[in-house]
Amino acid sequence: MTVKKMLENDDSKLSIVVDGKFDFSLYQNFRDAYIDFQGRNVDIVLDLSKTTYMDSSALGMILLLKEYGDKNSNRIVIKSPNETVNKILEIAQFHRLLTIEI
Amino acid sequence: MRTFKITVLVGLTISSLLLVNMLLINLSVVSSNYLSIFLVLCLLCVFSWQLKLRKNFAKVAPAKNDASNDDIHQIELSFQKINLLLSKQVSIVDNEVSRANTLVGSAVGDISNSFKCLQELCQLQQSLISQIVQNITSAENNESSMIDSFVQHTNDTLQEFVDVIITTSKKSLETLSYTDEMIAQFDSIFSLLGQVENLASQTNLLALNAAIEAARAGDAGRGFAVVANEVRALSISSTELNESIRNKISGTQNIISQLRSSVEMMASADMTPTLKAKDKVIEMIDYMGKTSVSTGTVIHELSLITPQISEHVVNAIRSLQFEDLTNQTLTSIKSNLSSISVLNQLLENIEITPDAMSEQLINLQMKCHEIMTSTTKKDESRSVCQMSMAEGEVELF
Repeated sequence: MTVKKMLENDDSKLSIVVDGKFDFSLYQNFRDAYIDFQGRNVDIVLDLSKTTYMDSSALGMILLLKEYGDKNSNRIVIKSPNETVNKILEIAQFHRLLTIEI
Repeated sequence: MRTFKITVLVGLTISSLLLVNMLLINLSVVSSNYLSIFLVLCLLCVFSWQLKLRKNFAKVAPAKNDASNDDIHQIELSFQKINLLLSKQVSIVDNEVSRANTLVGSAVGDISNSFKCLQELCQLQQSLISQIVQNITSAENNESSMIDSFVQHTNDTLQEFVDVIITTSKKSLETLSYTDEMIAQFDSIFSLLGQVENLASQTNLLALNAAIEAARAGDAGRGFAVVANEVRALSISSTELNESIRNKISGTQNIISQLRSSVEMMASADMTPTLKAKDKVIEMIDYMGKTSVSTGTVIHELSLITPQISEHVVNAIRSLQFEDLTNQTLTSIKSNLSSISVLNQLLENIEITPDAMSEQLINLQMKCHEIMTSTTKKDESRSVCQMSMAEGEVELF
């Protein structure tokens, strides 16, 4: 249940890694991870490879991240979700909104 | 005897005619050939007459021979036994034939009725099955479109539900960030309140100092002392007001933390039930497809079996024509039996006496020949009739 923020290439590229359950308790940390990111026209990678569970608030958080990315012309890429998480993303039809790399 | 006499007479006549002829035409040369033929004919006549006489003598005196008399008696006994045996056999066979006739008739009647019922039931079954097939075929289109629309509808509903959940989560999170901003605002209000409190306490201190200075001034400062006291009272009320504002804001903060937990509940919907529902819908679609296919196959097979049953029943009914053929056979056996009876009658009437025996035997032979001829004729006419049951396609029942 942690959110790790990794900045690469002189703070121009952002990776967010969510470990364990991705739910409401991570709201503040998740928001903090990107809200001060100043990069433009770059990918924000959301690494879900270590995420075991996701509820609707996680989906809401991803949507807020997408809104933020749209505002700053950043492409949001979801990386390596497991089968359960990917199913949830499919049900939410996030494949139409975001790039999901399995 | 008569034939013999005629032979002798004819022989004599021919020889005498030849002799007269020769004499009349007065042939100069009497052919030695003619003479020899005449002599041979005369000799033949005499010889045969003597042979016949001997035979007659043997017939007239059989009684002298005890052995031949015994034979005749034995023949007579044998004839009687054969006669009895034959009539017994004929009557038994006759009875059996009649019994077989009756049995076959009644059994065939029953079987035929059963098969007729079976055929009717088969036809009924076939019509019912074709009705089912028709229903299914016509219903299949409606049903599949119904199922399709149902599935589509369920999918849409599920999607709407998911969308609502996600939108609610997102809006809740936004609300949460607004709430957090509001809490920050409240914190700044608290610091402002602290400044106000500070002002009030300073005012209180100033009022206290003013009161002290007023007391020192004596009567001249009495009025000022009243003002100082009022200011002090005001500062105390201001502090009280400040305190109550602080309390109210704390209450509001509590309410806001409750609001926060409510928003959290709104935002955090478990997606697992939705996942399961989606899986169920997919499962159901699969199941419906499989059921529809298997039902179709089974009914198709069923509709193929029924005509086969019908065909077999028709075959069985046709096979029942054996009654006719059997009847023909039995009738023919009966006629053969009656022939045997006639023969038996002849045997019964035969007289075993030396005089009549020969004539009676000849008579018997002739009768036998007659019966043989008629039997052969009947057999031939019968063999023209149908020999196989499979030949006829016509239903007899």
